Amino acid sequence: MASTAQKIPAEERLFSLVLALLATDGGLTKREILSTVQGYRQRYTVAGDNASLERQFERDKDDLRELGIPLETIDSPGDPGNNQNLRYLIPRGSYELPADIRFTPEETTLLGLAALVWREGSLSADARRALLKLRSLGITATEPLLGYAPRLSLRDAAFTPLNAALEKHVLVAFEYLKPGESAARARLVAPLALFQHQGRWHLFAEEPDSKLTKTFLLRRIVSAVTVTSTIFSAPPPGQGERAIAELDTVWNANLATVQVEAGSDAAARLGTRRGSTATPNGDLELHYADANILADELAGFGPEVSVISPTALRDAVIARLQRAAADHG
Amino acid sequence: MAELRPPKLAGDKLAFLLSLVPYLMDQGRVTVAKAAAHFGVPQEQLREAVRLISVSGIPGETATYQHGDLFDIAWDDFEVRDEIVLTHNVAIDESPRFSGREAAALIAGLNYLAALPEHADSAAGSALMSKLARGASASPTQLAVEVSQTNATLALIRETVAAGVQLQFDYLNARGGRETRRVDPLRVDAVDADWYLRGWCHSREALRTFRLDHISNATITTDAIVRRADEVLLTDRLFEASSDDLVVTLEVEPGALPLLAEYEPELVAPSPTEPEKPGEPTSRVRVVVRVSHFHGLKRLAASMNGTVTVLSPPQARKTIKDWADAALSRYTVL
Repeated sequence: MASTAQKIPAEERLFSLVLALLATDGGLTKREILSTVQGYRQRYTVAGDNASLERQFERDKDDLRELGIPLETIDSPGDPGNNQNLRYLIPRGSYELPADIRFTPEETTLLGLAALVWREGSLSADARRALLKLRSLGITATEPLLGYAPRLSLRDAAFTPLNAALEKHVLVAFEYLKPGESAARARLVAPLALFQHQGRWHLFAEEPDSKLTKTFLLRRIVSAVTVTSTIFSAPPPGQGERAIAELDTVWNANLATVQVEAGSDAAARLGTRRGSTATPNGDLELHYADANILADELAGFGPEVSVISPTALRDAVIARLQRAAADHG
Repeated sequence: MAELRPPKLAGDKLAFLLSLVPYLMDQGRVTVAKAAAHFGVPQEQLREAVRLISVSGIPGETATYQHGDLFDIAWDDFEVRDEIVLTHNVAIDESPRFSGREAAALIAGLNYLAALPEHADSAAGSALMSKLARGASASPTQLAVEVSQTNATLALIRETVAAGVQLQFDYLNARGGRETRRVDPLRVDAVDADWYLRGWCHSREALRTFRLDHISNATITTDAIVRRADEVLLTDRLFEASSDDLVVTLEVEPGALPLLAEYEPELVAPSPTEPEKPGEPTSRVRVVVRVSHFHGLKRLAASMNGTVTVLSPPQARKTIKDWADAALSRYTVL
């Protein structure tokens, strides 16, 4: 079989599969697909074992879904539940971009910039494909007056598996090191949103038993993320915005007072931080979400900044500076 | 950093084919050169895709891919004039929808850039986002990014580019000093919450990168620029490597390694001070980085809570020690 069949490239087989499934009204059975569609039919044997070809079809279905191509199945009316009689099709209405969705040259320019933001990690492939589909519409982007090269970093290894779980609405498991605790703990949660707050990626998730929502910093996920096959019902839209609003509440409630050397790098960066205000005596009041992260940042500024309050933050910064001095003495 | 999933090449090629067909239908007649430029692919890749489309189709009534079941192109135009004309279409009428993840990536990207002057009309921005959501085959994955705030300097840079003149400003450099610079603005880069101006610096006669939040007293001059953006090739590296760079050896917790990505660390060897033990994958690794001076390094080392230690050269270690000591002296707990 496969040894004598001519080699059909994978993209030709996938393209032929999409065309066949778009053209059919009543759907095609797996047997019809394997025996007639280009790329499968060359390897199909009428009487023999097609197990490897069937596995190929399973992988191809996953690839199509990965690209956002809506692949649907219809049960045979006379024989419900029989997998062999399941009919596959791509419904035109769910596949085609609705005719009223078109973009102006200015919008196309903005979308091009938005795609450019994702040059790192797994979202770069999604952004690249989104641009292909956008160009399919034939609009020429306007040339911006000033060139931009925006980029969001995606350096957390946990991002890719969490984003996949987010799309499939399945539970994830990982080990999480909470600040102030010496050992990581295993977590099993339903991912609701991934969001970036003040330059850091977070996971907003729900504990399946308690139904409590929790926010996890991706940087503190210390194990590989296990994507389970346990499905939960999709949450309503807006979870990311809700999570950002919750973290903003924490941000606004936490206040630190620091002294900053005028004209320094610390003054430039901390002074423009969201919510920062100068006090009448020249100190700076800062908001923050996580005292440990702020302590890291402030220690990095060295003598350009010193913490007045709260005491725990002041102690945390001193401990970091003492460690840096000891490690490099 | 390393991708977990290998790139799905066949998937990318499929997305290209499904996008190319509606474009060609819409264009009627188009040169290979124009279509390749539009999609940003090499011309030969576009020709290959057209050849593949021209022999593809549906099994049809007979299940044998008869001529009428296949796409067709005007072959003379293609082979002689390098032009594409689809003469027969099958199955495809329209562009494909975005996937839920694709729409989410674009929406989050738009949100991140909402502070750009080009983006000033926020109502148009939210209309664009809702169009993307409606144009997706599944609801966009829940991905949210905050707006990256910029400052008034960005508007001033735009004005100088429009006028074709140099920008003058005071700059706070990495060593903590201030100096006046004159620059031909070339591009604005953003990395997470930080914004940078890339430009030709007249004071240094070289390409330089400036943090927007370190620029003060910016003014538009009347002197014409000498370098235009389309004459200069800029890479994504904000700070170009130079032969004068200093080589520094660091010892790093593996978990902290991604945070050093912008320094492009090169792995040397696991640290001999903490030998690898079975079941203890956290032993430190040794990496080499190249820096133009030690001042960025002292900020990095002090901010990593002990997860990064500079091993050599001694001058780098001393710079960090002095930095931490100076900071501690502010607390009088030395």
